[in-house]
Amino acid sequence: MVEQVSPLGAAYRLGRHGRAEGTPGITLTETRPGSIVQIGAWPGREGSVVAAASAVLGVPLANLPRAGAVSGHRAIFGIGPGLWLASDQVEDLASRLLEAIGAEDGTVTDLSHGRIALRIAGPSAEWVLSKFFAIDFSLSAFPVEAGRATAHHDIFVHIQRTGEDAFDLYVFRSFARSFWIALCHASEETGYEVR
Amino acid sequence: MSPRRAPIGGRIDRSRQIRFTFDGRRFMGHPGDTLASALLANGVKVVGRSFKYHRPRGIFSAGIEEPNALVTVLKDGVREPNIPATAIELFDGLVVESQNRFPSLAFDLGAVSGLAGPLLSAGFYYKTFMGPAVGPLRGTRFWRFCEWFIRRAAGLGKAGYDPDPSRYERMNAFCDVLVVGSGPAGLMAARTAAEAGKRVLLCEQEPALGGSARWSGETIGTRFASDWVTETVAELAEYGDIRILPRTTVWGYYDGNTLAALERVADHKAYAAVGEPRHRHWTIRAGSVVLATGALERPLVFPGNDRPGIMMAGAAERYAVEYGVLPGDRVALFTNNDTAYRAALGLERAGADIVSIVDTRSDISDAARDLARQAGAELISGHAVVATRGLNAIRQISVQPFDATTGKLTGAPRTLDVDSLCVSGGWSPTIHLASQAGAAPRWDARLQAFLPPEPLQKWIGAGAFNGAFTTREAIAGGIAAGAAAAGVATPQEPPPQVESADLDVHPAPVFEIPAAGKAFVDLQHDVTADDIRLAHREGFVSVEHMKRYTTLGMATDQGRTSNVAGLAIMAAARGLSIPQVGTTRFRAPFSPVSLGALAAERHGELKPDRLTPLHDWHLAQGARMYAAGLWQRPMIYPLPGETVEQAYVREARAVRARVGIIDVSTLGKIAVQGPDAAEFLDRVYTNTFSSLPVNRARYGLMLREEGIAFDDGTTWRLGERDFLMTTTTANAGRVMQHLEYYLDTVWPDLRVRVTSVTDQWAGAAVAGPHARQVLERCIQGAALDHASLPPLGIVRGEVAGAPVVVCRLSFSGELAYEVYCGAGHGQFVWEELMAAGEPFGILPYGLEALGTLRIEKGHVTGAEIDGRTGPRDLYLDWMLSKKKPFIGSAMMDRDGLIAKDRLKLVGIVSLDNRPLSGGAHIVEKADPENPRGSIGHVTAACFSPALGKYIALALVQGGRKRHGTRAYISDPVRDRYGPVEIVSHHFVDPEGSRMNG
Repeated sequence: MVEQVSPLGAAYRLGRHGRAEGTPGITLTETRPGSIVQIGAWPGREGSVVAAASAVLGVPLANLPRAGAVSGHRAIFGIGPGLWLASDQVEDLASRLLEAIGAEDGTVTDLSHGRIALRIAGPSAEWVLSKFFAIDFSLSAFPVEAGRATAHHDIFVHIQRTGEDAFDLYVFRSFARSFWIALCHASEETGYEVR
Repeated sequence: MSPRRAPIGGRIDRSRQIRFTFDGRRFMGHPGDTLASALLANGVKVVGRSFKYHRPRGIFSAGIEEPNALVTVLKDGVREPNIPATAIELFDGLVVESQNRFPSLAFDLGAVSGLAGPLLSAGFYYKTFMGPAVGPLRGTRFWRFCEWFIRRAAGLGKAGYDPDPSRYERMNAFCDVLVVGSGPAGLMAARTAAEAGKRVLLCEQEPALGGSARWSGETIGTRFASDWVTETVAELAEYGDIRILPRTTVWGYYDGNTLAALERVADHKAYAAVGEPRHRHWTIRAGSVVLATGALERPLVFPGNDRPGIMMAGAAERYAVEYGVLPGDRVALFTNNDTAYRAALGLERAGADIVSIVDTRSDISDAARDLARQAGAELISGHAVVATRGLNAIRQISVQPFDATTGKLTGAPRTLDVDSLCVSGGWSPTIHLASQAGAAPRWDARLQAFLPPEPLQKWIGAGAFNGAFTTREAIAGGIAAGAAAAGVATPQEPPPQVESADLDVHPAPVFEIPAAGKAFVDLQHDVTADDIRLAHREGFVSVEHMKRYTTLGMATDQGRTSNVAGLAIMAAARGLSIPQVGTTRFRAPFSPVSLGALAAERHGELKPDRLTPLHDWHLAQGARMYAAGLWQRPMIYPLPGETVEQAYVREARAVRARVGIIDVSTLGKIAVQGPDAAEFLDRVYTNTFSSLPVNRARYGLMLREEGIAFDDGTTWRLGERDFLMTTTTANAGRVMQHLEYYLDTVWPDLRVRVTSVTDQWAGAAVAGPHARQVLERCIQGAALDHASLPPLGIVRGEVAGAPVVVCRLSFSGELAYEVYCGAGHGQFVWEELMAAGEPFGILPYGLEALGTLRIEKGHVTGAEIDGRTGPRDLYLDWMLSKKKPFIGSAMMDRDGLIAKDRLKLVGIVSLDNRPLSGGAHIVEKADPENPRGSIGHVTAACFSPALGKYIALALVQGGRKRHGTRAYISDPVRDRYGPVEIVSHHFVDPEGSRMNG
């Protein structure tokens, strides 16, 4: 199989950047999942789609708005009414979901090349993300595993909280480098490390 | 004697000295100083010249309300004018300049305009510079003639021309309780809300928290008030869910309890830290808000009240207690209320000689009398200051018996020698945010002040903001407000006890002393009490009109020290009470906001670039890039020394003669999926898609509802319920919105999902006579012969392991294929295609060559589908299905769209062998002086290598009826006039034999 080329190019510079003192407030990583898939359910079919997606991914997803589930490298979260984004390290997630979700229940759209996944983690993650998005990132308002669909200026972003101070951001591939540079820029203040 | 630093006292760090420069002179100050306190400590009395009369002015206040001491800060090569010296924190190396003086502060030529003072009264410009009705200077011409001179003489500081290198940032915050102001009320509100477990945000515009408790000299809970502040702030920081933002002004209160704040992150430092912004704009979404913004002292209006050395009494108290700075040695105070007495004691303890306290009232409280005694001041009650003297600083005042009830002066004046006069005319609650939040303030006759309105949004007031001017009330009010904001009962434990003098907070209703001389109401704009009366006499009775006519209350200080007095004088002139005259409502911002902070990352950085998967390859090949919307696309791949035209002609020739390849990844791509997808496409396209077989593509046209052409592109049927729609690059977002709108609101019953997959696919169009051979050399697992892959057929295969989808379609008119693969494989597949094409001389081509090829072929794009053309104008009638309705079908043949004079698509050939330009008009007559009317315009033009001529597409009245006729291009902007022939828009291979062969 041909390997995917990251859209970040030379902008992805490993190591410490920004404020040099102390431990970095932020760790940034391109997680490069093998599959990123959008799942849609027709109105009234959300329950069966959630059940099918949970079974394929092996994670328990609740049929609630903006709910999500994370287990290791597999993750799924709500990005709109009857709409979820799922990711997995393996590359065949879309075909497995297609088998499990019938056309009468919903749709499966492979976005593995169309979106990239960035992980922002560390004690300053909420602070840095708050510079970009008018979203309440506090743990009580945005619990672990939950998802959000939002935008920064012209850039759509889907966000899942994967830990108390960790978030996975899914960004349109063509915008990825611009967004990455902005993310690094905003993280300079707290110091950041690209891993 | 000049103002000076007291030997002890103040909360400055006396162990360290820092340098600063004012008007080129070097001075020393201490950490903790403001520029104003440091200038006073260095004996600088004149810090600016006034707006109109160029009168010398000194430091008047100790906060953002400062009307006089505006300076220009020079930092990082940037001039930032009109900053109050009272709000600048001193740092080592600070450089500032005074403003509005020429040639220098001490000697100002403009001051002669002070001699012509009466000429510059209210409305002077309106009256003087409205020119005569006739003649060379009629109307506003005379004004324009004089404007340059006036602007030079009047005004504030000057901004620089250099770009600002500072960094600005935006931040979003959410909280349960926002507390604005950190005086005793704000601190208690924040602590009570935090104690109740709420998420609290506490904003304080000054560098240090505590408000008046920092300088009041009172005792709170057995400690000095200032120590109580330190301890309370330390306690607050212990709560987990509180954020404290000093140097942060909440400046706007918007709907839905959304507030705007400006944090000055690095203004107080010589250098910002790595990554640190200079200013940070906060958008705060608060559950509830506690407004504890305190009150601002207002001055009294009397002749000569603007002389350097005259200062607000509360400000003088702050300078003495907080900074250990005395405004003078021989100080008099002039007041209509008790608070000035506390200031007198503060000044006396710092070492000043309090000459006298002049009080307009006859009846003085015992507590105030006691303070006067302690300060060693002569109490002159029932008197008013009627004049001041001194050249560049005050040296003498005259006081005269005054009846505060009747407002009349009696008896004879006496003089007092002083070098500082501290004035208090009462206090105005800082109700700006409450006013912004929705309602009109209400007048309180006892406090002689406007109090906040009833809340229309979820806010609660506390402390001096509510007119509760004592610290005891502020603490109790803060606790109650914090509990109410948190939605809990007020805590039972008793509040900390306050020990303070029992002062009478109600001022006498005195705003102006009726003596002869220039008495300033608005110091910043040089508006006098007589100006207001003049405005009244000239008919400006509304307070809003008076403000505009006199400019009272405008500019950077927004009349914080002048609005109420101005209103009172207007009310007196009209014989009405103050509330009958009304008040101006407050608008955002509360205090000046840097535009950089509002723009934040939009400044210079984030208009995001959209990059195709091949972006780095294009750059490596030396492509000249071109911004197409947000996308970066190759315009040409020039050889050294080539012009744009030479490059695109070479690239286009290669496509016609051999084979070329172009990055088409930017085309909008939308997955249309679901059981009703085909039905949906039949409705949104003018032609039919339900009949399209799987693995075939069809060219489609969309109209808007009113029958105008909207977008075109091919849509591929990848499965029974699975379509891939392509749109023009520029229209992708609009088409997506269009589709979502119809699915969400018009046809919610259709089971169709649309998803943007533009970024999922990299696309390469391989075009030219050798295109099939190139593909055959690198694509495995797919038959590419004409029978297996006819025009608009789709096959799937692999390129060295990377899956690809190939569709045979042509934009250039040549044999052409679009090869799509996963975007992450884009560069790999592209390089494989380049290698496979090498034996055929494959050449990458850019947008210019693409445009040339499509003009030659007569394909339309956004230049022709311009929001005005209908499908018949573009000769796309053949795409309009008669068997089904579609969006736009009901309106596309209305009268206006089928009129005879519609502009229709034609081709144009230049007959004088000179270039044509888009936007040029087509006219019928050869004479440039008499061209007759325009019959149309050029939409796209190029040099056609296929024809060896300059050609263009155009929209012309009559369309194909004019084929073969002569016309002229008229392009006055580019000075071009010449003969053209109108021809078919299909310049090259109209039969399509090249692409279909």
